[in-house]
Amino acid sequence: MTQVLLAIDTSAGTAVAVLVDGVVKSESYDANSMQHAEQIGIQIQKGLEAAKKKSAEVTVVAVGVGPGPFTGLRVGIAAAKMFAEGISAPLIGVGSLDAIVFAQSLIEPTLVLTDARRSEVFFGLYQGKTAAGVPKSLIGPGVKKQAELEAQLQTAGHNYLLANSQVSAANLGLLALAQLAEGTANTSVVANYLRAPDAVPSKGKKVSG
Amino acid sequence: MSHQLRLATEADLAAIMELENVSFGNDSWSRPTMRAELMAPHTTYLVAHQDEKIVGYAGLSKVASSSSADIQTISVRDSHRRAGIGRELMQMLIEQASKLSATEIYLEVREDKPAPRKLYEQLGFERIDRRENYYQPDGVAAIVMRLAISTTAKSEPVVLGIETSCDETGIGIVRGTTLLANVISSSMDQHARFGGVVPEIAARAHLEALEATLQKALQDAGITIKDIDAVAVTNGPGLAGALMVGVGAAKALAVAIDKPIYAVNHLVAHVAVDVLERGKLETPTVALLVSGGHTSLLLVRDLLNDVELLGETIDDAAGEAFDKIARVLGLSYPGGPEIDKVAKNGDAKAIRFPRGLTLPKDQEKHLYNFSFSGLKTAVARHVELAESKGEQVSIADVAASFREAVVDVLVTKAINACQDNGVPRLILGGGVIANSRLRDVAEARCQEAGIELRIPVLSLCTDNGAMIASLAAQKIMAGMEPSKLDFGVYSTLPV
Repeated sequence: MTQVLLAIDTSAGTAVAVLVDGVVKSESYDANSMQHAEQIGIQIQKGLEAAKKKSAEVTVVAVGVGPGPFTGLRVGIAAAKMFAEGISAPLIGVGSLDAIVFAQSLIEPTLVLTDARRSEVFFGLYQGKTAAGVPKSLIGPGVKKQAELEAQLQTAGHNYLLANSQVSAANLGLLALAQLAEGTANTSVVANYLRAPDAVPSKGKKVSG
Repeated sequence: MSHQLRLATEADLAAIMELENVSFGNDSWSRPTMRAELMAPHTTYLVAHQDEKIVGYAGLSKVASSSSADIQTISVRDSHRRAGIGRELMQMLIEQASKLSATEIYLEVREDKPAPRKLYEQLGFERIDRRENYYQPDGVAAIVMRLAISTTAKSEPVVLGIETSCDETGIGIVRGTTLLANVISSSMDQHARFGGVVPEIAARAHLEALEATLQKALQDAGITIKDIDAVAVTNGPGLAGALMVGVGAAKALAVAIDKPIYAVNHLVAHVAVDVLERGKLETPTVALLVSGGHTSLLLVRDLLNDVELLGETIDDAAGEAFDKIARVLGLSYPGGPEIDKVAKNGDAKAIRFPRGLTLPKDQEKHLYNFSFSGLKTAVARHVELAESKGEQVSIADVAASFREAVVDVLVTKAINACQDNGVPRLILGGGVIANSRLRDVAEARCQEAGIELRIPVLSLCTDNGAMIASLAAQKIMAGMEPSKLDFGVYSTLPV
């Protein structure tokens, strides 16, 4: 049977790709980080059209679970979950930073940084790949101020290359296939927020002076 | 007071002919022609009547051997135009044609009558031809229009509705006006220690609840995902991050099952639940929607085309005020039920707390608006002042007096809205409707004022997916087009 993989990532912009038997047939990326809800349906629909596949032909859905800014990240995961439910296909969660470094050689230690807002970065340090091509993580994913992270890595004596930080849904899909091949695919899909919700129980304040 | 539709009988002939002559003048059918039409086995004629008076009629012809049907005639009395009667007559005839397995409906309309043409277009009819000099003796051309039933109006569409505007993940399924499933997963417990809904916690909970809620809804409805004809989703008003979870989910589901999607207004959907209980919404109606996120008064002349926001809160929602006062009184979250419980043993007249925006000076700008932040401050001051003097505060009296102030303003303004607009009915919606005092006072004062009060069952009052599905089903049955796939979320979406 033909394997048709739909890959979705909204950890930064909105990224969608369709892979047929391991070959990337369509890929789209909208860099706007405020348009996930608007973009997601159209990009999936157009991606399938460009790959000349009907939604019912999709056999597996892969989604980037972050880290990434929460509001956008959730749109892609919600979409992937419901698309998979809609066609009764399995769903795989893939680390968004893992997907970013997937296309790198990773011979040298390689650091990937993405915008975590609030003057912080999401980060992961990788080196080497498994036989199937899955990146091996040294540190992370985590979230920190960039200066603190650099100081920490320097103290620990890490030299590293800096990876291009744009996530590609095509690479995310290829990584999902590699994970499926080696049996490490993650089917329990949970958003990797890396931060607790910003809320503190109110002590209650006096109204009158 | 309002009009109703029923099948026409021979006894209606005289009234129909009177209206026919007024409406069509020298182009009218003769009495024998009309009688033959009414009596023919292949026709369906409806009349709209108000009290005993016929205010409109319409007829459909569908021969058993043909797959097409024809709208034969339609007329609404001049004095009763713009009340949605023509639309309702058309919708019932379209439904009838659909039941008779027609796949298309044809009609002719005078080229010089733009109003009916617009209605037919809204119902999904498309212009297919023009016939010169069709209407004689005026020599006016006819526009021939066609509605393809299979693709637009469907008599009983199965619609799945997704609601994630606040802290409730709701997925509901309806078939036409019939409720099939209404599953709600609430994150309320997770917000309890914060004393109010935390948007990020709500949004996270929606994402986690999606699949199980969907599966339970399908199971309750006894259908599979393949049986769904359309997907509906709230796209506002509400918490933006929470709304986006539902919109992302709904869009992908619609694409996955290759079905249309309908973006739905949360507030209007609260009113649309009434069709699940009564088959249709009696209009016009005023709606009072009161929850932790909204305090709104709507005037609904037509559920699909004419909803007006009369007023809303300018600060806290009523439910929010209950939560905040519960904290002042040391009661737990959510505050509404707690205050309700404690207030039962209190004196509602013990303390005269202010009624926000009810003074004459507020009426110009805020006739139907609400404000609860002043009340909240007044209650907190009362409690703190007493405590600072070392006096014992009666929590029961404070709770009862506070609740009375909220309920008094809500019901007074709702009834004023009915009376000012000549509307004989009021429908309630939103979680605060669970408040026993609100229900009691609304019932008593509506009865006094001769206003019909509708309170849906509580599971349909609180935020839920069934109301979203119900409103979308109404749109589909009226032949309205689905939403384009690129719609966004709007935290302050107007009605």
